[in-house]
Amino acid sequence: MVNFVALVREHWVNILVPAGFVIGWYLDRLQDQKLTTFRNKSALYSRELKPGEEVTWK
Amino acid sequence: MLKILIPTLLLIPTSWLAKAKWLWPTTLLHSFIITLFSLAWLKNTSETNWSTLNPYMATDPLSSPLLTLTCWLLPLMILASQNHLAQDPLVRQRIYITLLVTLQLSLIMAFAATELTMFYVMFETTLIPTLILITRWGNQMERLNAGTYFLFYTLASSLPLLITLLALQNKTGTLSLLIIQLLGPIPISPYVNIIWWTTSLLAFLVKMPLYGVHLWLPKAHVEAPIAGSMILAAVLLKLGGYGMMRMMLILSPLAKELCYPFIILALWGVLMTSSICLRQTDLKSLIAYSSVSHMGLVAAAILIQTPWGLTGALILMIAHGLTSSALFCLANTNYERTHSRTMILTRGSQMILPLMATWWLITCLANLALPPLPNLMGELIIISALLGWSWWTIIFTGAGALITATYSLYMYLMTQRGPVPNHMISMNPSHSREHLLLTLHLLPLLLLVFKPTTIWGSAY
Repeated sequence: MVNFVALVREHWVNILVPAGFVIGWYLDRLQDQKLTTFRNKSALYSRELKPGEEVTWK
Repeated sequence: MLKILIPTLLLIPTSWLAKAKWLWPTTLLHSFIITLFSLAWLKNTSETNWSTLNPYMATDPLSSPLLTLTCWLLPLMILASQNHLAQDPLVRQRIYITLLVTLQLSLIMAFAATELTMFYVMFETTLIPTLILITRWGNQMERLNAGTYFLFYTLASSLPLLITLLALQNKTGTLSLLIIQLLGPIPISPYVNIIWWTTSLLAFLVKMPLYGVHLWLPKAHVEAPIAGSMILAAVLLKLGGYGMMRMMLILSPLAKELCYPFIILALWGVLMTSSICLRQTDLKSLIAYSSVSHMGLVAAAILIQTPWGLTGALILMIAHGLTSSALFCLANTNYERTHSRTMILTRGSQMILPLMATWWLITCLANLALPPLPNLMGELIIISALLGWSWWTIIFTGAGALITATYSLYMYLMTQRGPVPNHMISMNPSHSREHLLLTLHLLPLLLLVFKPTTIWGSAY
């Protein structure tokens, strides 16, 4: 137990960068969703989807 | 984009909170992890070329190789500086790492900016950490002079750019790169066009640097500590080339009266600076002048504005970034052992550090553009593009290539061969850290041979 506490005290800083990655990934995803809804609505990309086509833009 | 930016930002608290024993390993490990994720930028699946969009930043095939190169350089700089900073107090080591991380942050934002104002602000921001690196961690008194040259050359040339950008904003109402490429030619008189052209490109031509306004570069390179030299040669000069490629979008039609003299000056610079290399005694100065000569080719290729020219310029920028950074690392390994940059005083290293001589040979061959490497690919494409533009350029580019081979050979022979001087009898053996550093420089070069389209940009 003491060893574990010592380990955490020594190495807790290693969590910062991975945590930053997770936060960044989440914010990027939010942004993608926002832009995706915008593009789905835009007149520029509106047309009938071909069979098997997922989105009109890529 | 934030996937990379936020972890990079958090590297700063990591470097301040890490235990002294773990400071260098921790920052090295985390910067490597960031680099690993940044490789994802190279895969571009978008039809419009722009991907990983957010309101202020995006990547496209032109910026993604440069962005990945920036991220690649941070762990290498941390790896290279460890020995140099071992004697410094802990706080100063932390400040040093913080500066390197700040530089990386501003470079990422400069390369990824979709708005020219943000690009300009970040372009200027990169000056501050670099200036502190040069003037605080340089080795000699002359570093202050070098810092002044570096700052004032870049600042004085980039103020007209700011005014141009403000005028453009006033005229078109936008500075977004996504929109500017769709605008038609801006109606201005021929005289204004010439001033417009000069003010738009001067900042980048000085940053490249173009022959004639290159004096700050050898000074900055010679005085900077190893990490400063590495980032300066590998990424900061490329900021000039990148900016030129971006600003060219709004500069049509080109002002021929200015284009011709600048292309000729760039090509003349290739000849002159490589000839200067032939008579250098200072190792770092030689590598710095070799950078000026290579960037002269890049400048000429961008100025003729053909798809081949732009592709070749991008390839040569990436390849030269890795090669020149590797050369500075090699020069530093010599400097750390002999405390001298003078080549004549550090001869015969091959006898003392044989494996290091292999690295010298490979890097010199890469510098003179050995066949399978991207350096040759870039030079060949640029030379053929220039040849298509005008037959006369082959005289300059051909002679330039010949002199490049000559001075690379001269550098190799002067440092590695010859009699070992008496004062060099006791030298430290080379560290695995140094071998790892050189491997990590040359490995991407070799890998790019197999998949060159990653650095071809969008113009091919």
